[in-house]
Amino acid sequence: MQADPRYGAEVLRRFRELPGAGDLAADASSDVVEGRADAADDGARVLLSLRVRRGVVSEARFRAYGCPFFIAAASWLTERLTGASRDQIAAWDWREAADALEIPPARVGRLITLQDAVRAAAAAWPG
Amino acid sequence: VLLHVDAAQGAGKLPLDVARDRIDLLAFTAHKMNGPKGVGALCVRREPRLGLVPLIYGGGQERGLRSGTLPTHQIAGFGAACRIATAEMTEEGARITRLRERLWSELKTLPGIWLNGSERRRAPGILNVSIEGVEGESLLLALSDLAVSSGSACATLRGEPSYVLRALGRSEQLAQGSLRISLGRFTTPADIERAGERIRAEVDRLRAIAPSPAAATG
Repeated sequence: MQADPRYGAEVLRRFRELPGAGDLAADASSDVVEGRADAADDGARVLLSLRVRRGVVSEARFRAYGCPFFIAAASWLTERLTGASRDQIAAWDWREAADALEIPPARVGRLITLQDAVRAAAAAWPG
Repeated sequence: VLLHVDAAQGAGKLPLDVARDRIDLLAFTAHKMNGPKGVGALCVRREPRLGLVPLIYGGGQERGLRSGTLPTHQIAGFGAACRIATAEMTEEGARITRLRERLWSELKTLPGIWLNGSERRRAPGILNVSIEGVEGESLLLALSDLAVSSGSACATLRGEPSYVLRALGRSEQLAQGSLRISLGRFTTPADIERAGERIRAEVDRLRAIAPSPAAATG
């Protein structure tokens, strides 16, 4: 994959290496919650898998369909959510990913779908 | 009703006959036939007159239709490109068609891949496909070592898939997952083999991280 001036270095790295890709649902563990959001006609679909232990996210994975910014943001989110409580997750805002990855304003629209998935995970939180 | 044909992709590759096809205006460009960039041509039906009005005024060049000093070097290069393309059209067209079909044979074994356009009546050097489960811009970036394009104009707040592919009956998602591969005079069988391998590998990689549509309904 070659450098592309339209994308920042961190976006390119995450898109290339896909850290955090996958899911945690395979073991059917009861401490795994999922957050899903689908705006496929707008080019964005995401599934977050979060393992919850002692009231915080101990591990996170993502699956995503979308543009490079969206995939990179989903990857970044798995690290951002690790260690977060339910309340922190419920309050998460897509602008944080936009700022962290320096996503151009014209390209942030799909991050709303990411926020929807995070909120869905918070709603599915155990207890 | 006037018929205007954008022949940028066809000129030099397909036989064109403005009289037979009753074409009133036919535009084409040099760089699509390995000529210099920055020069093109507009064939205008002579009789009956169309009454075209110029957009640029000045010295009255091009019979008053397009004022401005003529770029002689570009026009000469354009003419040479036309001569070569016309002389080699049959042989080169057959060669490129074979390469294109070889690539399609390789790609069509991928599940969920669709050929855009006619199976038979098509320009030799273009293969346009839609691929389920991958988004065009991501596939394009993943294939940045290949000179390919996407039908996806994903540069706006809401990614807008190609309206041409939508008009051909493709769904929003298939239009988003389109890939346009152009073959040309310098494309070799080794290029085709490598392109096929790379496209398959990146489609597999992106599909592997995509959530299934059935699972993501929330």
